[in-house]
Amino acid sequence: MQVRKGKRSRWSLAVVMALMLALFAAACGESKDESDSGSSGGTAASGKDCGKVVLNEQAWAGSTANTYIAKAVLEDKLGCEVEITKIAEIPVFQAMADGKVDAVLEDWQHVDEYAKYIDKAGTVVQGGPLGVEGHIGWFIPKYLVDEYPEFASWEGLKGKEDLFKTAESGDQGMFLGGDPSYVQKDKELIEALGLNFKHVTAGAEPAQVARWSQLYKQEKPVLFYWYTPQYLNQEYDLAEVKLPPRTDANKDCKDDSKSGGDPEQYKCEYDVTIINKLFSKKFADSGSPAVDVLKKMELTNEDQEQVAKAIAGDKVDPEQAGQDWVDENSAKVDAWL
Amino acid sequence: MLAAYFLLRGEFDWPTSLTWQELSSRLDSAQGWLLDQRTAEHPNIIFAILDGFRALAEWLVTAFINALEWLTWVGTIAASVLIVLRFGGWRAALIVFGAFVSFALMGLWEESIQTLGLMSAAVLLSLAVGIPLGVLAGRSDRYYRSITPVLDAMQIVPAFAYLMPVVILFSVGPAAAVICTMIYAIPPAVRITALGIRGVTPDSVEAARAFGSTAAQTLFKVQLPLARRQLLLSVNQTIMFALSLVVIAGLIGGRGLGDVVTNGLYSNAALAILAGIAIVIMAIALDRATAAIAERTDPTRQHLTDEGRRRARIMTLATLGAILAIVLVARALGADALYPDEFETSTTVFTATIHDDLLRWIQSALDYVQDPDSFIFGITEPIGNFLLEYFLEPLRLVLVETPWFVVLAGLTGMAFVLSGRRPAITAFLMLAAIGVMGVWAVAMDTASQVLVATALAVAIGIVIGVWAAESPRVERMLRPLLDTLQTLPQLVYIIPFIYLMPVSRIPGVVASVLYAIPVVIRLVTSGVRNVSPAAVEAASAFGASRMQVLLKVKIPLARESIMLGVNQGIIMVLAVVVIGGLVGSGALGDMVARGLQRNEFGEGVVASLAILALGIALDRVTQGQRRVQPR
Repeated sequence: MQVRKGKRSRWSLAVVMALMLALFAAACGESKDESDSGSSGGTAASGKDCGKVVLNEQAWAGSTANTYIAKAVLEDKLGCEVEITKIAEIPVFQAMADGKVDAVLEDWQHVDEYAKYIDKAGTVVQGGPLGVEGHIGWFIPKYLVDEYPEFASWEGLKGKEDLFKTAESGDQGMFLGGDPSYVQKDKELIEALGLNFKHVTAGAEPAQVARWSQLYKQEKPVLFYWYTPQYLNQEYDLAEVKLPPRTDANKDCKDDSKSGGDPEQYKCEYDVTIINKLFSKKFADSGSPAVDVLKKMELTNEDQEQVAKAIAGDKVDPEQAGQDWVDENSAKVDAWL
Repeated sequence: MLAAYFLLRGEFDWPTSLTWQELSSRLDSAQGWLLDQRTAEHPNIIFAILDGFRALAEWLVTAFINALEWLTWVGTIAASVLIVLRFGGWRAALIVFGAFVSFALMGLWEESIQTLGLMSAAVLLSLAVGIPLGVLAGRSDRYYRSITPVLDAMQIVPAFAYLMPVVILFSVGPAAAVICTMIYAIPPAVRITALGIRGVTPDSVEAARAFGSTAAQTLFKVQLPLARRQLLLSVNQTIMFALSLVVIAGLIGGRGLGDVVTNGLYSNAALAILAGIAIVIMAIALDRATAAIAERTDPTRQHLTDEGRRRARIMTLATLGAILAIVLVARALGADALYPDEFETSTTVFTATIHDDLLRWIQSALDYVQDPDSFIFGITEPIGNFLLEYFLEPLRLVLVETPWFVVLAGLTGMAFVLSGRRPAITAFLMLAAIGVMGVWAVAMDTASQVLVATALAVAIGIVIGVWAAESPRVERMLRPLLDTLQTLPQLVYIIPFIYLMPVSRIPGVVASVLYAIPVVIRLVTSGVRNVSPAAVEAASAFGASRMQVLLKVKIPLARESIMLGVNQGIIMVLAVVVIGGLVGSGALGDMVARGLQRNEFGEGVVASLAILALGIALDRVTQGQRRVQPR
């Protein structure tokens, strides 16, 4: 008897499930209708239908800024429907190859991936530089340079490493390394320059920021890997430590110590990073008017930092921040159209 | 070991002649080969099968989300609450209602629905694979033994390591997210199902056989029904494990709450925390709802008369009717598919969420934490420094600088003494493999952090666990807290600690302690509570005080559960190593994270395998005599 009773309640569960499934089917049918009628909305300025464009936003605020600027332009001026995905830096190459993402607007020279996806497979194509120029370097708080003017250059750090000592760097000074996913060569640089620093990995960018901003607020000495454009540069007063310049003599000097080897080959300042736009091959060949606009799109470091500051610093909604910039910079935007 | 450390420190690194140098570049080229195959003009037939699976997973996820959106937000709440009310009782229904209301008020409705859709598909597919495998494993010892290592690997190898191959095979999007979640969520489904099938008394099986049942009949009419509770527990655990992968799924196009967490970390930490809280609420609601349904629909607990049964049927029909009516009315009145951010009337616009207020509150809490002059900081900073100076750093030095053969022999010896011969051999092989892969020093750095974290988790866990065993009230109060710690994405609760204990390796240790504590507490509590009442009564009869009973009788008798707690604690701690890498723990975790983020695939896999090897070695050292006897 007991088994039968159990069956009863299981039956009713099954009936509920079946009904839900029926609802499902209805839902699927319905959504199909919607998508059919939805795609015909909005005709492009150039006469050709823009359709849907998928942009990928990277985790950092600068990327949010340029992605939402592009979204505002494409939607307002071309009537495109813009979808934003948030896929990590490396997997997004495969996403473009599969045509799931149309464009990435801020790529920091992932040359290994360029070789695989652009040169070899040809599934991703270059969309030209974004105009923003990345610059990596060693940074310290401004108050520190005011106190020790010699810290403006790396030679000034020599012999003064003690000042940067913390609990975890032992009897050496602490150098706070950058996000492990970023291009860097600081361990090698410290060795090649003969400095007595311990390279401490702080982890991903938010964790690294937490570390140095904490020391900054305590007005303690701190030396760390940092870069521009970055919205926090508008919030914190930072100064850069000059590293050995790039000259004709060391033009083979490398920036990415991923490949390892002799530290001497890294003994120079970081080169300026040209930030690229990348398109999926499918999107580039689609003839969508959005391709041309995105190709012509150009921002300065200041443009990007300003919008990023609004989003991450002042917590303005990204849609709004992008739209605001487009409204205020109609001359720039018109040049892209 | 200590003597060797002082005599021979730093003189014997793992010899390069004993390492397999090309391993990581081999792995790199394997990945390159995979990519070439994928983009080849005539892809292998296997890719067609994988594409089929991808289409299925994608269809499932979209179908779930579309269905929920078709119901409209009013209908979604009504349907879930009424169904849970009918089959799980009012308590669970209230929790489910509360969960949906909070998603709405948090302004994270759309993201929650996306995550719910993704999780439903992942859990459904995990169970579809896991339960049959678990049934097989429950019926055959040989098979069970052979898949156990695979299950261990699936749970310990960090998802970061296989994210990229999964993306190459399945592209980005819901399908890839579902696959990654399945890899992590299938093992508990298999294990618990197998446990349930094994738990069916041999008598019942034999009786069934004696009456001439076929193997299939025995399975479907005897073993599965009798293992019902375990099967439902496996559904429940699969859900919990799946939810802990939400954030990682976000990295490869899983959308939903996971996305909000990762991007929020960079530009709006308060938002990341809010999304983390939403994940916890979802986990708790799903857990309570499935547990309640399992309890209520248990046939052995229902004593229904014909009258009662008829009433139940009417209730079911009424529930369905009510859902249908609410959905139709909601659609007719034009309710949105998603909960709106604001309601408009003809004259005014109301903000419908308290999203902004919540963010402001969280932000002000964060501001307090970030203030280096705050009262708390004055306490936490020295604790962090103390841990580093007196525990982490000395232990790391001992493990890294003691000659490798001494460490190897020492750990193998410990395994032999504590666990026996076979575990010792396994531990030796695993440690040797770490050396051969060329990551000895890095792995020893990780080992020092794992050991310190485990020691802390066990110390705190035993104290709280014993306390909870003695006082049901404490246990009840702890439950939501422990659930939170197990499902809140570590990256979320680790943010405050980065500020409060600004030493690179400490936040990682704190994260692993907090993640491992719930398991230790639960095992210790159930161990102490299950000590036979006869022994306790005997001791009390001889006039032992409550404290004496606890210290002299209960704890010694619960030793085995406590050891199991230590052992499971280590495994949990190892699961957080990668998160540690993201917040500055360096070592193996850092290598794994870099493997994905900078596409050093080979290095990442090597580091993941080293974590696995370390896990198995430490497991064998601490497992005790537990597994020596065949089950």
